[in-house]
Amino acid sequence: MNHLLDVRDLAKYFPVRGGLLNRKTADFRAVDGVSFALQEGKTLGLVGESGSGKTTIGKCVLRLMEPSAGQILYDGGDITHLKQRDLRRLRSEIQMIYQAPAASLNGRMTVGQIIGEPLWIHESLKGDAARARVLELMNVVGLKDEHYYRYPHEFSGGQQQRIGIARALAVQPRLIVLDEPTSALDVSVQAQILNLLQDLQDQFDLTYLFISHDLGVVRYMCDEVALLYLGKIVEVAATEVIFESPKHPYTQALISAIPEPDPDLQREEIIIRGDLSHSFPQRGCPFAPRCHAEKLATCETVPPPLLEVKSAHQVACHLHPPMPRLEPA
Amino acid sequence: MSELLNIDDLHLEFHTYDGVVKVLAGVNLQMRRGDVLGLVGETGCGKSMTALSVPRLIPMPPGRITAGRVTFNGEDILSKRESEMEAFRARHVGMIFQDPVTNLNPLFTIREQLVDAVLYQQAQGKRVPGRWRGFTPSVRQLRKEAHERAVELMRLTGIPDGDKRIYDYPHQFSGGMRQRVLIAMALAGDPDLLIADEPTTALDVTIQAQILRLIRSLVAQLGLTVLLITHNLGVVARSCERVAVMYAGRVVEESPVRELFRNPKHPYTRGLIAAVPQKDVHRGGLEGIPGIIPNLINPPAGCRFNPRCEHVMGICRESVPPAIEVGAGHHAACFLYAEDA
Repeated sequence: MNHLLDVRDLAKYFPVRGGLLNRKTADFRAVDGVSFALQEGKTLGLVGESGSGKTTIGKCVLRLMEPSAGQILYDGGDITHLKQRDLRRLRSEIQMIYQAPAASLNGRMTVGQIIGEPLWIHESLKGDAARARVLELMNVVGLKDEHYYRYPHEFSGGQQQRIGIARALAVQPRLIVLDEPTSALDVSVQAQILNLLQDLQDQFDLTYLFISHDLGVVRYMCDEVALLYLGKIVEVAATEVIFESPKHPYTQALISAIPEPDPDLQREEIIIRGDLSHSFPQRGCPFAPRCHAEKLATCETVPPPLLEVKSAHQVACHLHPPMPRLEPA
Repeated sequence: MSELLNIDDLHLEFHTYDGVVKVLAGVNLQMRRGDVLGLVGETGCGKSMTALSVPRLIPMPPGRITAGRVTFNGEDILSKRESEMEAFRARHVGMIFQDPVTNLNPLFTIREQLVDAVLYQQAQGKRVPGRWRGFTPSVRQLRKEAHERAVELMRLTGIPDGDKRIYDYPHQFSGGMRQRVLIAMALAGDPDLLIADEPTTALDVTIQAQILRLIRSLVAQLGLTVLLITHNLGVVARSCERVAVMYAGRVVEESPVRELFRNPKHPYTRGLIAAVPQKDVHRGGLEGIPGIIPNLINPPAGCRFNPRCEHVMGICRESVPPAIEVGAGHHAACFLYAEDA
């Protein structure tokens, strides 16, 4: 299997400053030892509540943020410590689409300039050649030719997101990090954008790292899902497996909390207590203070490692013992 | 049960430099005591404006109500004077909003804000005895009682250690807890109607489940009437008994919740439900609604959904469809169900 992106033990700590001299007093562990791999042409969902570190992971993958520890392999090569010059080449391979479409577009540039800028930077394309490419890209994402000279504020949220998508596609990337691409949009527009993203994936053979808090959207878009809690992955598996037989108590609670538009749906609603708090005891399982499942003595003392409980299904929970290893004959 | 709220043919306009925005164009909505009504729609459909017209919190100007009536408990609200409105808001309507951060003052403790809310609602629009007059025994007693009531409200809304946490500032609370504080504040005057405007949109899904459960338990405990405004059909399915779907300033469909999801009639409602990524919808199976919401300065004539509708007929472009009964308590404003069409 060919992994386009392979993240190993990624960590990002932010310094907590305090005291009289404003010295660093502690580390805020936004991402704390996360590993995952993404196959070419597939979509991996990173799911978690606010503060779980999902956006930080996305930014580290693009090297918009320097990871504190760990390794990021892209297409077999280590990009964790690439120099600025080489990073630029990487940018044409990995692109990002942001949550707030209005804030990620320059309000003083026309749509043509916004989509054309990466072409100029990466391919030195300008003039009629650039214009032809921009129009082609606009066509691909469903914008009309007459939008070329308009400004972002003249568009609705959904169309602004289309501009952002066209800009990301301009450099013909292979991997796109999508950071909550539809959470600012209405449902009917969200459906349009999700379908567009799927069509583009098929058309250009794109690989997506899909960051979202909306499990319904993730279920629709992703092949594989990784659930994050306080900077750690608690469960990874194929999408159907996660939704059919979630193992980790947090995953179970999240799935039961999806507001399904079906009043007849009978299911046990697991409501977990409290909220996400970074002030959890450093020892033990980060989810232990909110956990609704049966508690073991080890929950409070030993952090559960992420282990394979079935093939291609990893869970970090003491309640789920790892799959017995097959001894080589 | 008796009728609590009746919004009848409400028309609301906003005057802007670009022209007159026809925000509401004939909204009809009835609520009885004990109802939990969900008001659903996308951005700009007028759901918040409809709700804000009840406590008359729409800024006028630029807003202007050009036609229609709002009656609450038999009283005509639109003809009340502003001084009467203050007493009305304090006694009858509680509101909670989407963003619990901006609705709490960061410079005051929860105690100061909750006690003020309790006192204000007791004073019913008259002056609240301030802290500077707290030396007189009667005022001191009043504030003491208000403090006890505030702690009681915090217990009611599920804030642990309310008697200690009441001295904390808003930033010491998490998002979900702040929303509980706002609910406590809204309940301070024992309102008849609680208007919840997107109360869980800014919250994480596990916290959303907690808050929805709290609202449901308050309905059961206090017999509260709730108008829940949301864009999330899942939230409606979980917490409401009746739903009204709005599109571009009109209610297009109204129905008991089960009926709406099982048997949606209006093409917009159908499109909206089909656009939600659901359990059994797989790759490529999601349908959006083509087009975008209309500009309300120049809304399309007739049914405002007609440019996006796949069943559009000649009459849809000419006249406004009335609410047609399509089932028990189920109305759809669509000519597809008109008998002589």
